[in-house]
Amino acid sequence: MQYIFNIFMTLLEGAKTASILFIVVILLSLPLGFLFTLMARSSIAPIRWFANAYIYILRGTPLLLQLIFIFFGVPYLPVIGKYLVFERFTAALIGFVLNYAAYFAEIFRGGLLAVDKGQYEAAKVLGMSRFKTTVFVILPQMIRVALPSVTNEAVSLVKDTSLLYAVAVPEIIHYATGIVNRDFNVTAFAVAAAIYLVMNTLLSFLFKKLEKKLEY
Amino acid sequence: MALIEINGLKKSFGNLEVLKNVSFQVEKGDVVAVLGASGSGKSTLLRSLINLEQIDGGSVCIDSEYLIKDGKYAPSAKIRKITSEMGMVFQNFNLFPHLTVRQNLEMPAKFAKILSDSELTQKADALLKKVGLSDKADVKPSKLSGGQQQRVAIARALMLNPTIMLFDEPTSALDPQLTGEVLSTMRQLAEEHMTMIVVTHEMGFARDVANKIIFMSDGEIVETAPPHEFFANPKYKKAREFLSMALD
Ligand SMILES: Nc1ncnc2c1ncn2[C@@H]1O[C@H](COP(=O)(O)OP(=O)(O)O)[C@@H](O)[C@H]1O
Ligand SMILES: [Mg+2]
Repeated sequence: MQYIFNIFMTLLEGAKTASILFIVVILLSLPLGFLFTLMARSSIAPIRWFANAYIYILRGTPLLLQLIFIFFGVPYLPVIGKYLVFERFTAALIGFVLNYAAYFAEIFRGGLLAVDKGQYEAAKVLGMSRFKTTVFVILPQMIRVALPSVTNEAVSLVKDTSLLYAVAVPEIIHYATGIVNRDFNVTAFAVAAAIYLVMNTLLSFLFKKLEKKLEY
Repeated sequence: MALIEINGLKKSFGNLEVLKNVSFQVEKGDVVAVLGASGSGKSTLLRSLINLEQIDGGSVCIDSEYLIKDGKYAPSAKIRKITSEMGMVFQNFNLFPHLTVRQNLEMPAKFAKILSDSELTQKADALLKKVGLSDKADVKPSKLSGGQQQRVAIARALMLNPTIMLFDEPTSALDPQLTGEVLSTMRQLAEEHMTMIVVTHEMGFARDVANKIIFMSDGEIVETAPPHEFFANPKYKKAREFLSMALD
């Protein structure tokens, strides 16, 4: 028991890193994703093309490749490369935010389609500007529609934090592997799995509560 | 000059000519019922007046200001000013589902900056009382019947002090037993001399409340008459056919 507790305390260090990554990525990629959704609907064609290409590429290639590219690849880019050398964690953070923004953009795009056209018309005849309509009428309804999918992505993100391993940022699996190699005992992996499960259970619970709150 | 003057209005969707040279006038205090078969262009006509459809030609002049003159739109600030004189009520209510009834009334009015916060509350209370929904101020629209939702939509439009109210089949989405409460709210507005244009299939309302009937067919106004004339003796074959269908 003491052994498991010791493992747990060590892995908690990794869980802290993973949690920080999770929170920052969620906070940044959700608004960025919505921005891409709006860009993909822009009346200016090049903006639309850019947003659609962005979403297509980031969703169509592995996150692992994107992370490795940003950390190892970008510094080799001609001219700008030397200004884009990041710390490991920062590089990973950028990669995660850019990647998840693409997924959220796609989810929000579907959410927007679910908002009735009559809502835009009602807001317009009530004299509301396009900006106010988007923020106060469309966005809240879009979020409600998108929330279950956002929950799924958030659960994926918790698991994806393990990709920090690839750019050698110490996280849960890094510590677990260390312990397994040291003790020739796989208990640490089981504890790692339990930590992910607890985090995701907690997360799903919170999102369910939020869904209830937004119901109408 | 009449309050609303429409001249030679034209509108096509692709190859389909939906409004062909539509002209009519509405005086202050008129209650105009727009009748006609489905697809005859009634909604498009109403929506053109409040800038929900972009028209292709003609003039719309409201309260002596041109929204569109000979097919040319006014600058956007002026469009906003002119359309703000009109309120619109939709077939599907289009209440904001995530907001309470009170918020539905207060939010657009708040953005319009015509009232202080305390005046907003007072006005919302007064209008909810008027449409008989004072006890529903803090519920979400989904908790209301269709008839109640439509009355909220009417109150919401009235928050902005329109001089003209446009109704596009306000009772068509309602169960028959719920149309009465909405029609009586509209009747009350008419008694207060609100200028109203009402697209409707409610012949009783058209006959008893309207003072002018416009009958549309295939994108044209084929008959304009006071209701007693129109219902007693429609001049055109299309109108006679329509009435015999609608009244049986
Ligand atoms: N957005 C649109 N795009 C293409 N056709 C449309 C559109 N809106 C209406 N129409 C067509 O225009 C005609 C008139 O429509 P509408 O004004 O809604 O008639 P009504 O309200 O009298 O039923 C119909 O044939 C309809 O199919
Ligand atoms: Mg219609």
